[in-house]
Amino acid sequence: MNEANLYPGLNLGGGHGDAHDQAENTVFGFWVFLMSDLIIFGILFASYASYRDPIGLAGGPGPRDLFDIESVAIQTAFLLVGGVAYGGVSLAVKYETGRAKVIAWLLLCAALGAGFLFFEVKDFITQAGKGGVPQASGWLSSYWALVGLHGIHVLSGIVWILAMIAQIIKRGMDDTVKVRLSMLGVFWHFLDLVWVGIFSFVFLVPLA
Amino acid sequence: MSRPNTGEIDPKDTARAEIRSYAIGFVASLLLTGGAFAVHLSGLSVSWKIALICAAALVQIVVHLRKFLHLSFSGEQSREDLLLVLFSVCLLAIMAGGTWYVMADLGERMHQSGMDGAPMHSMSAD
Amino acid sequence: MSRETSPIVGRLDWTVTPYTDLLREVNSSTIVGAGAASVLVLGAIAGVVLLTWKRWWAPLYRDWLTSADAKKIGIMYIALGLVMLARGIIEGFVMRAHQASALGTLAQPESGLVAPDHFAQLFSTHGTIMIFFVAMPLLIGLINFVLPQQLGARDMAFPVLNQISLGLTAVGAALVMISLLIGKFGTGGWTMYPPYTGIDFSPGEGVDYWLWAILISGVGSTLTGMNFAVTIFKERAPGMHFMRMPLFCWTSLCVAIMLIYAMPALTVSSGMLVLDRYLDFHFFTNDAGGNMMNYANIFWMFGHPEVYILILPAFGVFSEISSTFSGKRLYGYTSLVIASMSIAVISFTVWLHHFFTMGQSAGVNIAFGIATMIIGVPTGVKIYDWMATMWRGRVRITTPIVYLTGFFLLFVIGGLSGIILANPSIDYQVHNSTFLVAHFHNVIIPGVLYGMLAGIHYWFPKAFGYRLDETWGRRTAFLFVGGFVFTFLPLYVLGLMGMPRRSPTFQNPDFLPFMYIAAFGAVLMLCALAALIWTFWTSYRNRLSLAVPGGDPWNGATLEWSTPAPVPEWTFPRIPHVVARDDWGEAKRGEDPWKAPERYDDIEMPANTAHGLLIAGAAFAFAFAMVWHVWWLAILSFLALPGLLILRGMMVIEPRVISAAEVEEADRRFRHQVANLTPVTRADEETELNRGVPDVSEFAG
Repeated sequence: MNEANLYPGLNLGGGHGDAHDQAENTVFGFWVFLMSDLIIFGILFASYASYRDPIGLAGGPGPRDLFDIESVAIQTAFLLVGGVAYGGVSLAVKYETGRAKVIAWLLLCAALGAGFLFFEVKDFITQAGKGGVPQASGWLSSYWALVGLHGIHVLSGIVWILAMIAQIIKRGMDDTVKVRLSMLGVFWHFLDLVWVGIFSFVFLVPLA
Repeated sequence: MSRPNTGEIDPKDTARAEIRSYAIGFVASLLLTGGAFAVHLSGLSVSWKIALICAAALVQIVVHLRKFLHLSFSGEQSREDLLLVLFSVCLLAIMAGGTWYVMADLGERMHQSGMDGAPMHSMSAD
Repeated sequence: MSRETSPIVGRLDWTVTPYTDLLREVNSSTIVGAGAASVLVLGAIAGVVLLTWKRWWAPLYRDWLTSADAKKIGIMYIALGLVMLARGIIEGFVMRAHQASALGTLAQPESGLVAPDHFAQLFSTHGTIMIFFVAMPLLIGLINFVLPQQLGARDMAFPVLNQISLGLTAVGAALVMISLLIGKFGTGGWTMYPPYTGIDFSPGEGVDYWLWAILISGVGSTLTGMNFAVTIFKERAPGMHFMRMPLFCWTSLCVAIMLIYAMPALTVSSGMLVLDRYLDFHFFTNDAGGNMMNYANIFWMFGHPEVYILILPAFGVFSEISSTFSGKRLYGYTSLVIASMSIAVISFTVWLHHFFTMGQSAGVNIAFGIATMIIGVPTGVKIYDWMATMWRGRVRITTPIVYLTGFFLLFVIGGLSGIILANPSIDYQVHNSTFLVAHFHNVIIPGVLYGMLAGIHYWFPKAFGYRLDETWGRRTAFLFVGGFVFTFLPLYVLGLMGMPRRSPTFQNPDFLPFMYIAAFGAVLMLCALAALIWTFWTSYRNRLSLAVPGGDPWNGATLEWSTPAPVPEWTFPRIPHVVARDDWGEAKRGEDPWKAPERYDDIEMPANTAHGLLIAGAAFAFAFAMVWHVWWLAILSFLALPGLLILRGMMVIEPRVISAAEVEEADRRFRHQVANLTPVTRADEETELNRGVPDVSEFAG
C-alpha cells in the first residue's frame, strides 16, 4: 500500500488496512479527549465571567491595573505563528520530505511555544509584583487558574514535541510515530483555539 | 483549499493546494486577530467593542477548525470529528451558559441588599 | 492539626492512627475506629498470606495485573467494587446502629455508638465509596466485560489505556481505604461542600484524601469513557449497525458520553478546591471574593449526569435480562434507544435541582424543575417497555428476574419521590432531611445495586464457566429487597417528621420506632451481604455441577452467548459478520448455529505490560505525598508520570500473536463439546442438566 494513501494528513479518510484503521481510532479518541478538555476550559471561562464583579474583585487590582495588552498581542502572535508552523510538520510528514524537515518544523513550533511562554510568565511576574497574585481575590484566582492552565498545556505541548523528536530519531517515521504526530498537531491547534478565547474574553472584553 | 482529503491524492496538486489552504487560514486569522485588537484601541462604544470582539473570536475559531484542523461535512472522518465538535459545543453551551445564568442570577439577588451598592452586571463595571 | 511539617515525612507521625485515639480514650467510638483499622490490616495480612501460601503472586501478576484484556480488566473492576461494597454496607450498618442509639436529651444532646466527628467521617466515606468506588467500578467493570463481546470486537479500542484507568480507579479506592488506618477522612459528606471543607474549617488531611481520591479516579473514569466511546464508534463487528446493537451497548454509549462531558466538571471543582486548600486561592472561601455557591454549581454539573451514569448501565442490564428470561424479543427497541439517548442529553440540563435552596430567583428554579420532571418521562417509557417485554413471555423467576421485579416495585416509588422533589416549593420543605436520603437510596439501590448484581449473576458463567447458585442467589436478592424496604422507607417518614440528614443525634423520641425499623433493615442488608459472599463461595465449591461449557446457559440472543464459557481471551475465533439485531438469536433460528468458521487466522492481542501498574504506583505515591505534604515524594512521583509515558513512547511494542493453529484447536474442541452435550429446555435451566447448550427449538426470542 502506498504510504501517501495510508496517511493523508490530519484528517484521515480513504485508504484501508489495519494501520490506517488504528490511526483513525487513535486520532478520533484523541479528539474525544480534547473535547473533555474543552469542557474544563469552558467551565473555567464561565467561572472567570462569574467572578468578574466587584464582589469577586474584592477590592484587589482589576483588569485595567494588570493587563498589558501589548504583551498579550505579542503572545498571540507567537502562538498563532506557532500553530501555522505545525502545518509545516503535517505537510512534511504527509509528503515525506524527510525526517530532517519534520524535526526542523517541530523545533520551530517548540521555539515559538517557548517564546509565548516567556512573555506569559513575564506578564505573570509583573502582575504579581503589582499585587495581582491569585491569593488576592476570587477574580484573580479564576484568572490565574484559566490562563495558567492554558500555559501548562503549552508547556506540555513543548515537552511532547521534544519527546516526538526523540522518537523520530530513535524509531524513525513508523506508523505509530506518524499517528502521534497527527495527535500532537490536533493538540497544538487546539491550544490556539483556546487562546483565541482567552485573548478575546479574558483580556479584550474586560478592557473594552 | 479546504477540500478534505479523500485518500486519492495527486501529491503535487494537493501539496500546493494545502499550502494555500494554510496560507488563507493564516491571513484570515491575522486579520481577525488584528481586527480584535484594533477594535480594542478604537473609540467605539463599549457594547459595540464587545460585540465585535466576540464576533471576531467566533469567526476565527471557525477558520481554525476549517483551515488548520480540516474539519468539514464532507469526508467521513472529518465529518465525524466535526459532529463530535458540534455536539461538544452544544453541551458546553448548556454547561457554561447555565453557569453564567445561574451565577449571574444568584449574584444579582445576593447583592440586592446592597452592601456596597455597586452596579453588578454591567459588563463595564471594572 | 497545626503540627510541624517535617521535610522527610511531611505531617506523618505516630499519632495519626486510630490506635493512638484508642489509647488516649477508650469508648465505643474509638473501639469502632480501631476495629475498622484492624479489619483493614488483618485483611491485608490475610491476603498476603493467602497469595504466598497458594503461590498466587506470579499468576496474579502475569495473568491479571499486567493483562490488557478488557474482560479481565472488567473482572478486576468488579472485584474492586465488591470489596468496597462490603465496606460501604458495613458503614451503613454502623450508621444505622448509631442513630438507633442516638436519642439525646436537651441536657445531654450527644449520645450513641460513635462520636459526632466519627459519624461524619462515616457518612462521608460511605457516600464517597458507594458512588465512586462501588457503583462506578461495578458498572465500568461490567461494561468492560460485556461491551466488546456484544459488539463482536476483540478488545477495547485502547487496551493499555484501559489498564491505566483501572489502576487510577484502584488508587482512589486505596486512598479511601488507607484513611482508615493513617489519619482521618473528611467530614464534609460525599460532596465536600466548601467553605466548610476549606482550609480554615477543615485543616487536616481528611478533605485532601477525598480530593486526591476523586481527582485521580476521575481522570481514570474520563479515560474510560473515551475508550468506551471509541470502541463503540470504531470497533463494531462488520454489519453491526448502530440500530443492531444490543441495548446494553446503547446505554454504554450514553455512559461514555456522560463520562466524557461530566467528569471534567468534577475535575474542575475538585481542582479549584485543591488550589484553595494548598495555595490559598479564593474560589470558594468566605472572604476575598470567593463564592462557595460556584462549587455547588460546578460539582452538580458533574453530579447529575453522574446519577444517570450510574443508572443507565443498570437499565441496559434490565433490558437484556427482561428479554432473555422471558424468551421474547425486547419490546420497543427503538423507543428504548431514544429514551436512553434523551436521558443522556437531558441529564446535563437539570443540575440545579440539587441546590434549589441556594438563593437564586424563582424563575431559575422553575426552569430546572421543569427539566427535572421532563427527564422522568423517558425513564417511564423504559419501565413500560420492560413490562411489555415480559408480558406473556415464558418468564423464569431466576435471580436476575427477582432483582428486576424488586427494581420495578421500588424504583418507581423512588422515581415518584424524585418528581415530588423536582418541585422547588416542596423541595424547600424536605431538603436536607432524611426524605432526601430515602429518595436517592430508593433510586440507587434498586437501580444500580440490583442492576449490577443482576448483571453479575447473568454474565458470571461467561466469565468463569459455571453458573451462580440460584437458591442462594434468590435468597440474596430477597434479602437486598427486604433490607432496602426496612432500612429506607422509614426514612421517608422520618424526613417528613423533620429529621435532618447527616445528623449524629436527635432529641425527639417519636423518631425512635422508625430508627429501630431502619436498624433492623440494616441488619437485613448485612445478611444480604453475607448471603452474597456465600453465593459466590458455594457456587465455587459446586462449580463442576454448575459448569456450562456450552457457553449459552440462558438461551440468550446476543453475540456473547455464541462463545464458550469461560470465554477465551480472543473471544471470537473469527470476528463475526452480523446480519441482524440479536444476531445470535437469528443464528439459532436458522440452521446449525454452532457452525465452525471456514478458516482461522492468527490473532493479534495486546501484549501484557506493567505500564498501568507503574502509572498507578506513581499516582498513588503522588496522592499520598500530597495528602501528607511530603513534598519531595510528590515532586518525584509527579515527574515519574510523564517520564513513564515518554519512555513507553520510545519503545516499539509488538502485539502478542496467537497462532491460527492454537485458535483452531481450541475452537474445534469447543464445537465438538457442544455437539456432544445434551441441550436443555428452559424448564430445566436451573438444574444440573444445564450444560450451557440450550434447546434451540425452544428459542422464540
